[in-house]
Amino acid sequence: MKKKMLSALLCAAMVAATLTGCGGSGDSAPAAEAPAATEEAPAAEAPAATEEAPAAEATGDTLVYWSMWDAAEPQAQAISQSIEKFTAETGIAVDVQFKGRTGIREGLQPALDAGTNIDLFDEDIDRVNTTWGSYLLDLEDLAKANDYEATANAGLMAACREVGGGTLKSIPYQPNVFAYFYNVAIFEEAGVTAVPTTWDEFLDTCQKIKDAGYTPITNDNAYISSLFGYHMSRLIGEAATEEVVKNGDWDNEAVLKTAQAYEELASKGYFSETIESNQWPAGQNTELAMGTAAMYLNGSWLPNEVKDIAGEDFNWGCFSYPAVEGGVDGTEASNYGAQVFAINAKSQKAEQAFQLITYLTKGEADALLSEMSVGIPADSNNAEWPALLNNVKPVMDSLTTRYPWGAGAEANADMTPIIIENFTKLCGGSLDAQGFVDALKAAGN
Amino acid sequence: MKKNKTMIVVFLAPAVIMFSLIFVYPIVRTVLMSFFKIEGVTDAMSKWQFSGLANYIKLFNTELFRISMWNIFRIWLVGGLIVMGLALLFAAILTSGIRFKNVFRAIIYMPNVVSAVALATMWLQYVFSPKFGLFKTIGKALHWEWLEKFQWLDPSHLFTALLVAYCFGMVGYHMLIFASGIERIGTEYYEAATLDGANRLQQFRYITLPLLKGVTKTNITMWSISSAGFFLWSQLFSMVVSNTQTITPVVYMYQNIFGAGNSMTERNAGIGAAVGVLLSVCVVLIFVVCNKLFKDNDIEF
Repeated sequence: MKKKMLSALLCAAMVAATLTGCGGSGDSAPAAEAPAATEEAPAAEAPAATEEAPAAEATGDTLVYWSMWDAAEPQAQAISQSIEKFTAETGIAVDVQFKGRTGIREGLQPALDAGTNIDLFDEDIDRVNTTWGSYLLDLEDLAKANDYEATANAGLMAACREVGGGTLKSIPYQPNVFAYFYNVAIFEEAGVTAVPTTWDEFLDTCQKIKDAGYTPITNDNAYISSLFGYHMSRLIGEAATEEVVKNGDWDNEAVLKTAQAYEELASKGYFSETIESNQWPAGQNTELAMGTAAMYLNGSWLPNEVKDIAGEDFNWGCFSYPAVEGGVDGTEASNYGAQVFAINAKSQKAEQAFQLITYLTKGEADALLSEMSVGIPADSNNAEWPALLNNVKPVMDSLTTRYPWGAGAEANADMTPIIIENFTKLCGGSLDAQGFVDALKAAGN
Repeated sequence: MKKNKTMIVVFLAPAVIMFSLIFVYPIVRTVLMSFFKIEGVTDAMSKWQFSGLANYIKLFNTELFRISMWNIFRIWLVGGLIVMGLALLFAAILTSGIRFKNVFRAIIYMPNVVSAVALATMWLQYVFSPKFGLFKTIGKALHWEWLEKFQWLDPSHLFTALLVAYCFGMVGYHMLIFASGIERIGTEYYEAATLDGANRLQQFRYITLPLLKGVTKTNITMWSISSAGFFLWSQLFSMVVSNTQTITPVVYMYQNIFGAGNSMTERNAGIGAAVGVLLSVCVVLIFVVCNKLFKDNDIEF
């Protein structure tokens, strides 16, 4: 009998030990469906797992910031430096976790759903406001109380309100603009004196560059759909383009017109010979940065990405996608945006979080970020842009209409790869305009 | 006997509980999710909208999903034949008593040690490059114009490029499994066969192959599972946005759960779950067919 009791007790102890030992994974069981969250989510909650959350978290004094940057990126380094200073000045400890793009994209929502202690996070303006809109704290009052907007970029603040459904739920930083970036040296050598603002001028520019012995336009698979989106949006506006792409209305005459314009570019030999084979970053690195191609439609992060290849003396030019005849939008419209900070609606430390956001997006910290990442400053008092981006400023200042990413070309995820495949073939000359339209129509069925 | 029953229950309970929590619950939940429209993957059940078979119907009617299934089928079949063929060949050569066996084995296995990200970048940005690629250089040196001019990465050939690069990395792994299977076969069979006058090829055909049945089944099952979950190489061969030549069902699932590329697209974790269910069905089917084709234990050695 004694033996039986003892063995039962031992068994109970063993079961208890097993369950306690697995306590962490037990917690994370619901998160098991969201792959990225499994490791991080419990760590932040369970006091036992102190790897990333130091003792201070237990007392609730530490701000938890989930960042979209990878720790090795210049942006992360600049932010880390500034946060150290912030803590030294204010005494507010910050637990910054560099999750990277995919880490945030896959892990943030599950973590928020699981009630993880996250005070603030950042990502692209559209994703934060659209995908995670319901988790955000309204920042209107905090911004007003701190007079935040006195030195903020008015256009971007307006954009934040627009995507936030009329109210301010995010604070922009690291603004960017998506436009044609070009090699000024090639333009000068080819005798192009002014940037093209209309399609005819664009064709003329391409011809001059070709005559000078350079490739006028190159691109990569990652961005090529923007060429289609921008041209469509110039013709019929972004909203209408999005409708066409979402509803598969390939009979819309703008589609054929766009295809014909690109068929002309291809037939005149304005595209890189290897345009069909350019897998990002081949085009930007081996053609544009190496000085064999002149123009590339891309974001203002491009000079930073290729600066080690292009060299310090590379002179960057920038112009907005040219206006087309009979189109509704002109050069005043483009995709521009920013990364944005947002505060978790459930945060207990919203004021401190806003204090940190203000610190990072203004003055010295903003200037440091701009300098280290060759990015555009967010604080309007930081008037000096990195030298590589000097020519981007006039373009940024001239924009009044905001396109979302790809100007609507990637609005339908089920069509994006099919548009890219056929548009690439169109640019490479292995498909004509009608063939492009037919291919899209066939795929829609 | 009574005492034993209690003991069985007590000892099994932790394993059963953990198994149910970690395996059974997610499977049941995934199957359930596939019948709902769910925006965020961790949304509470109260936010789920029942949609019946709509997710499955949409999948079958979506060209891109059909393309992704076709791609995975091609990877499984064509890639499988290439990888299994080469792996078996190398395994047979390596176990035939050649010199420097360990060196060759290490070389062939090497790609499995190198990070897939580094490997894919090497293939994509160097070997296949239309400007300074390895194949281009070789074509030039040999005066093979077709190879020199071949555009590996354009929309018509990207799949071939992906397959070549992926198979290159997978041969070593399956070769090791085959090699260990061959080494398990006793030398006396070969000695007897040699005495009977069988040559190397005949020995391979009538001794090695039949005795490798079980190992072959293992290899095919492993290959099928890794093919069904084909994700990383697809992502690496089409950075930022997916591509018709490289998209696979798991990539399609990811896009539906977390959004595609840089744009804000509609999300539906229910469709992602439906893709998962369909893939599981495929793997189970392959497994059943494999079991039928390669019946175990009919040869003992």
